[in-house]
Amino acid sequence: MSAAPRPRVAALALAVGLVLADSSVVVLALPEIYRDLDTSIAGVTWVLISFNLVMALAAVPAALLARRVGPGRAAAVGLAIFAGAGLACGVADELSTLILARCVQALGGALAVTAALELLPATVGSERRATVVWASAGATGAALGPAVGGILTELVSWQSIFLLQVPIALAAAVPILAVAKHEAATGILQTEVRRTGRPHLRANLALAMVSAAIAAALFLLVLLLIEGWRLSPIGAAIVVSAMPLAAILGSRVGPLVPSARARAAAGAILVSGGLAGLAFLPHADVVLTLPPQILVGIGLSLVLSALTETALGGRAPQAIHGGWTISARHAGVVIGLLALTPVFTADIAQQRDDAINAGTAVILDSKVNPLLKIELAQRIEDRLAGEKGKVPTIGPAFEPLPSDPGERADVEGLRDELQEQLNRGATHAFSPSFLIAALLGLLALIPIVLSRRVEL
Amino acid sequence: MSPARRAKVLVGASIVSALVLVGVYLAAGGSSYTPEKSQDPCQHRPWSNPEGLQEIANQFSISALDGAACQLGVTRETLARALATPEGRERFKERYGIDDAKLAKAIRAGLLRAVDDAEEAGALSPIIAGPLRGTIEEIPLDRAIELVNDASSALGGVESLLGPATDLLEEFLP
Repeated sequence: MSAAPRPRVAALALAVGLVLADSSVVVLALPEIYRDLDTSIAGVTWVLISFNLVMALAAVPAALLARRVGPGRAAAVGLAIFAGAGLACGVADELSTLILARCVQALGGALAVTAALELLPATVGSERRATVVWASAGATGAALGPAVGGILTELVSWQSIFLLQVPIALAAAVPILAVAKHEAATGILQTEVRRTGRPHLRANLALAMVSAAIAAALFLLVLLLIEGWRLSPIGAAIVVSAMPLAAILGSRVGPLVPSARARAAAGAILVSGGLAGLAFLPHADVVLTLPPQILVGIGLSLVLSALTETALGGRAPQAIHGGWTISARHAGVVIGLLALTPVFTADIAQQRDDAINAGTAVILDSKVNPLLKIELAQRIEDRLAGEKGKVPTIGPAFEPLPSDPGERADVEGLRDELQEQLNRGATHAFSPSFLIAALLGLLALIPIVLSRRVEL
Repeated sequence: MSPARRAKVLVGASIVSALVLVGVYLAAGGSSYTPEKSQDPCQHRPWSNPEGLQEIANQFSISALDGAACQLGVTRETLARALATPEGRERFKERYGIDDAKLAKAIRAGLLRAVDDAEEAGALSPIIAGPLRGTIEEIPLDRAIELVNDASSALGGVESLLGPATDLLEEFLP
């Protein structure tokens, strides 16, 4: 079809990766946005929810539109909208503006991603290969998104995540413009918009449930690392990189097992097991998050590819069924975030209070000079008031340390004990949410096991 | 290996991996990694053979905080932080809907419990405990808070509280 398919395949893959990365790229920037825009955890969650919600609602209509106006034009226009909205996100100085721009970004993204799936079979030469390229680009984008976002947030700013998307989206649109011009010149449009066949209900349902669990894993883990254990965004980005690295390993295992049903079931079990592991962390130590992350990473690679292949396998047109999978995945993310945000925000508040009380008890019961106790209590109270309900950074409350060596050692011991109590509180605050997410992952097994047609 | 067998191995390995991870984390204390729970302030906290003015003052303050916190239905630790600064006290009063009169009443009750505990532990002579109780019952809120926060200074420089009994204090403290 094309005189230059390679750049076009690369551009389409880039477009899909860029858009699907956007559902997770801001995860590591959320704590920074949360502080910068002076909002609440529940409020900042909408930066993530709004994008995924609009993607979920718009994916199938966008696919229909792409087939009606021509996938080349739809992809080019979609990327232009995505870039423009990205610019608006980058300059937003209020949460409401940012959320609105994220909604527009999702509309453009939905159009670009579904149109890309319509363009790919002709570009790569087969429907099966198109599915693999599309699913791989999406999985790569989603997996790399958090790490890239974390690095940009720390090295530049959270705004840079969105501003960087503008040239990338425009660069991806350039090779696609030739298709759009060809469509405009020839008037070739897809007219068989109603012959879509029914979507694969069970595969899409399982996709939604497992996506809810995976989104929760990523979102909760990032919040735990940054807000709970006070890691920097780049530190958290390095830690959560374990998940995409494990996903690459999972993508090597997948082809060894032809049964999509077995891969989907194994993936859902691994995701749930990893999440349960995160729910029962025995200490506040980043190393202990690695084994659960490896299970989640391998699991997500197995289950997402198996279910996407199943939902698309043998169905036409691809754009519409691709739209259903996009819709299911993003709806799952929204359900996961909406269900879990109130649970963990309430738990954080409770555990924070328990941790501060436990730390205060240690100070009260210690043998240090009573006047020093009062001073420490004053400084801790000031820190708590300054952090407005967040898990506080408690170290500065103990500065300056006393000059007397004995008293200094006592105060350092109290500081460490209070920090340990805060770590315990922050870690435990996420446990119920991780367990609920694990349950969502296990529930995905029901449609997988019940489906006799989850075999390609 | 046949495709069907590979499928079974994959699912089986996944189940085993998940169970092993969760089992190891639970065995390592994953279900009990929580902050220490605050003790009920209404329950008696025994004094541990205090020696010297500072230790007596420490335990006196803790008993007073327990007593006041018990009256107010909050934890000892929450009250301790609230009494540390005037701003903290205002936030505390607003959060729990407590006025100055109720706070003063609770702190006086706490101080009286501290005197009882000190007397029971043999840390305070009945000769001192009696007038101290009388003074506490009349003590203004700010002064009561000072006494809770800094019992060592208050017990050490007790003349403003005890008047004529002051001279006896050092003699009767162990």
